Amino acid sequence: MNEARRRGPTQPSGPAEVISDCYLGDRRPSSQASNPRCPQFDWGSAPTGDEEGPQDLRGRPLSMSLKRAVWQVQQMRVPAVSKGESWKRKRTKLLRKLREGTREFLYLFSPWRKALQLIAGNFGGGVQSFFVLLRFLVLLNFFSFLLIAGFVLVPSIVFSSEGSDSVNVSGLGECMEYNPNPQGLVPFYSYVLDVLLGTGFVELSYLFYGFYKNTLVQGTNFYNIPLAYIFTAVFYIAFCLICIVARLGTTARVVVATGGGSSGNYSMIAFASWDYGSLGEKETKLKQKNILYRLQVDLEEERLKKQAAALTLKQKIILYSLRVILFFLALGLIIAALVGIFMATQFSQERSGQEGILGLIIQYLPSIVITAGNFVVPMLCDQISLLERYSPSLTIILALMRAVFLRLFGLCVLLFTLWSQVTCSGNPEEDDCRLCQYNHKLYPCWETRVGQEMYKLTVFDLLVTIATLVLVEFPRRMLVDNWSNKLVQKLGRQEFVVPANVLVLVYGQTVVWTGALFCPLLPLINTVKFIILFYCKKITLFCNCRPALRTFRSTTSTFFFLVVLLFGWGLATAVMTYSLAAIHPSLSCGPFRFFANMWLIVPTTFHTLPDTTKEFLFFIGSQAFSIPLFILLCVVLCYFIALASVYGKTVGLLRAQLKLEGRDKQFLVKQIEALSEHL
Amino acid sequence: MPFPEESRLSVVRLRSQGFSGKRWVINKQSLRMNNSMPTRLHGRYHELAPHLVPMDYTSDPDCKLPLALIVNMPELKENPFRNRIVEAFSEDGMGNLSFNEFVDMFSVLSETAPRELKAIYAFKIYDFNVDNFLCKEDLEKTLNKLTKEELTPEEVDLVCEKTIEEADLDGDNKLSFADFENMISRAPDFLSTFHIRI
Repeated sequence: MNEARRRGPTQPSGPAEVISDCYLGDRRPSSQASNPRCPQFDWGSAPTGDEEGPQDLRGRPLSMSLKRAVWQVQQMRVPAVSKGESWKRKRTKLLRKLREGTREFLYLFSPWRKALQLIAGNFGGGVQSFFVLLRFLVLLNFFSFLLIAGFVLVPSIVFSSEGSDSVNVSGLGECMEYNPNPQGLVPFYSYVLDVLLGTGFVELSYLFYGFYKNTLVQGTNFYNIPLAYIFTAVFYIAFCLICIVARLGTTARVVVATGGGSSGNYSMIAFASWDYGSLGEKETKLKQKNILYRLQVDLEEERLKKQAAALTLKQKIILYSLRVILFFLALGLIIAALVGIFMATQFSQERSGQEGILGLIIQYLPSIVITAGNFVVPMLCDQISLLERYSPSLTIILALMRAVFLRLFGLCVLLFTLWSQVTCSGNPEEDDCRLCQYNHKLYPCWETRVGQEMYKLTVFDLLVTIATLVLVEFPRRMLVDNWSNKLVQKLGRQEFVVPANVLVLVYGQTVVWTGALFCPLLPLINTVKFIILFYCKKITLFCNCRPALRTFRSTTSTFFFLVVLLFGWGLATAVMTYSLAAIHPSLSCGPFRFFANMWLIVPTTFHTLPDTTKEFLFFIGSQAFSIPLFILLCVVLCYFIALASVYGKTVGLLRAQLKLEGRDKQFLVKQIEALSEHL
Repeated sequence: MPFPEESRLSVVRLRSQGFSGKRWVINKQSLRMNNSMPTRLHGRYHELAPHLVPMDYTSDPDCKLPLALIVNMPELKENPFRNRIVEAFSEDGMGNLSFNEFVDMFSVLSETAPRELKAIYAFKIYDFNVDNFLCKEDLEKTLNKLTKEELTPEEVDLVCEKTIEEADLDGDNKLSFADFENMISRAPDFLSTFHIRI
């Protein structure tokens, strides 16, 4: 080994010299792992074709010159293979090249790469995971918009000159009245109001459901717009699910393989916490402080645990009863917020005819109350959790869960209120709803109304973010930088709190999913909103924030954020399914106006298909096919679950075996020493 | 400027042995990023010592840059382990890197290097006394570098003890490579933190 080192920089003029360099110097045929100093390579091994390719060579800790020599030797050794074998190898090589080519191509396509690198270098992985999620959502929304545009928007525009079908419905003339255009002269500011509220000229545009016609284009260009509308909506939701689950899968793999990373705390901090990619002196100092803080927190937690175990019975009872009381208090706060949202929505719907600024405020009342609730209640819950004295990690998880439930239930309450008003609380016999199966007096075109609510939520969210940026965050920084008052300095610059920001994203995305059926262009609006949000958050991060002292484990938190996103998706799907199947569409607007519910267009079109296709689809839908398919899927699922549990058990067993082998080795070494003493 | 010295070298060598058409093979294998990396890395290597590093590598010059020059790179300057990183990749163990070793270093620290390779080099970096084991002194030095020596000696002692307790599988009070690799395999963030962006 010393020989190899003394020779200094190697200039391999051929494989032979390199062989002598390293191999002769160290004759022990030990594995690479136990002798990392001198890299080994077994020159006697036969080439195994494609398996021993460049991939394997990359993974070896050999020096560059040695790798080059090995590659040359491998190239020279061309194994003699049959024609079939050689074709198979060529094919594998081609596939591999193709895969690498696509990966490089996609690498070029991911936007904001440099920005994300800069953020990660200066603020760490936790903050970066927020921006990565934001980028994912931007791309998801953009591709959804392309989908919707391709199948619904563009055909609607192209075929807009075609007349729409009209079925003779007598006695329902009142239901068909729908004229959102304002009559007579309008003041100028009403255009601005219209953009903010989605009324007026915005209402009668491709933005909302009400504008789409139920055109059925026959002849050379066959296109059934209502059918396309419904299938696009369903496919859009399914597409989002597939994207999220795929992303969840890659994260989950890491989480499952590493067992959640909860064990081995100190060794993790010592060896895996230093971010080699961090740049700058200030950030490095901060990171060191961060690690110091984490170690101290861990030591403190140990001490607290010891203390908690030493509590007397009386103290334990007091602590637990305090926790129960505080739990109910937090629950009460959340319920109060939800009741507030319910009442605000009702109030807003009843007084929806008001004009002017007051009318604007009343229209936006649900959004205002929701945002206020989402701001105030988590703050109060934070104060409550200080009294509960759970461990820090549990505190964070509890805070997140409470905020998530508040947000999603708030949205639920809003939707429930809307539903009860549109369908007269599900009672079709009530006065208002008897004629058209829905409340046509308040809502001549209820889908557009629901779409407008979602649109208002989205717009308001964006406005609040920009307003907070300009009115709260920048002034705070200027205050802290220029005023050296002790209190102000203690307040300090703000921290970029990742969980709160992620919940904003999840909430916004849930609103878009819920509203996409009624407002097809909402994904486009959301794409623009998220792009603006990206730049706003980046600006605030670099100008106003100081790096967080308490960091975030980025992998498990990404997993949690995606799971929360799935909750939102579930809510949106439930709403969409219910709207498709149960509520009577408006008679005065939209592509489904002459159906009893939106889904009915599918069976209707189905019956116009040719016989063989009908038979085939009947067969697929029948029990003879779907039940065996279901059973097969269950079997496959059970197989994978069993496989996963077996792998988990194997890992545990192997670990135990490793420990045992180490002890065996120790024992044998002692025995050898004892024996050699005797001799 | 004569482009990728590495690949030219390899092409020359391969051609001399009668193989043709394998242009980028070695360079691409050894480097894990896109095709513009070798030029960029050579540019960075050159600007560390413009009068020492030749622009043309076809004559296979024997040129090594000392440790002091390399740890001044902006990517390494603030890293508390910068000396150990450079020493781990240098063949003579003193921190003098030739261009091959320079490329090697950034290759292992890039985002697509396999986990096992990173674990091997991480172990080398944390092994301060180069005895193939992470003993208590190595751990103490690591901790002090991580926390800028702001922990009290008792706390450092306690943390070292707990670390060895958690990770040591064969009970010899120090961490061998197998222990280290086993512990690292349970760290979900290791791949993303052991990564220098260049």
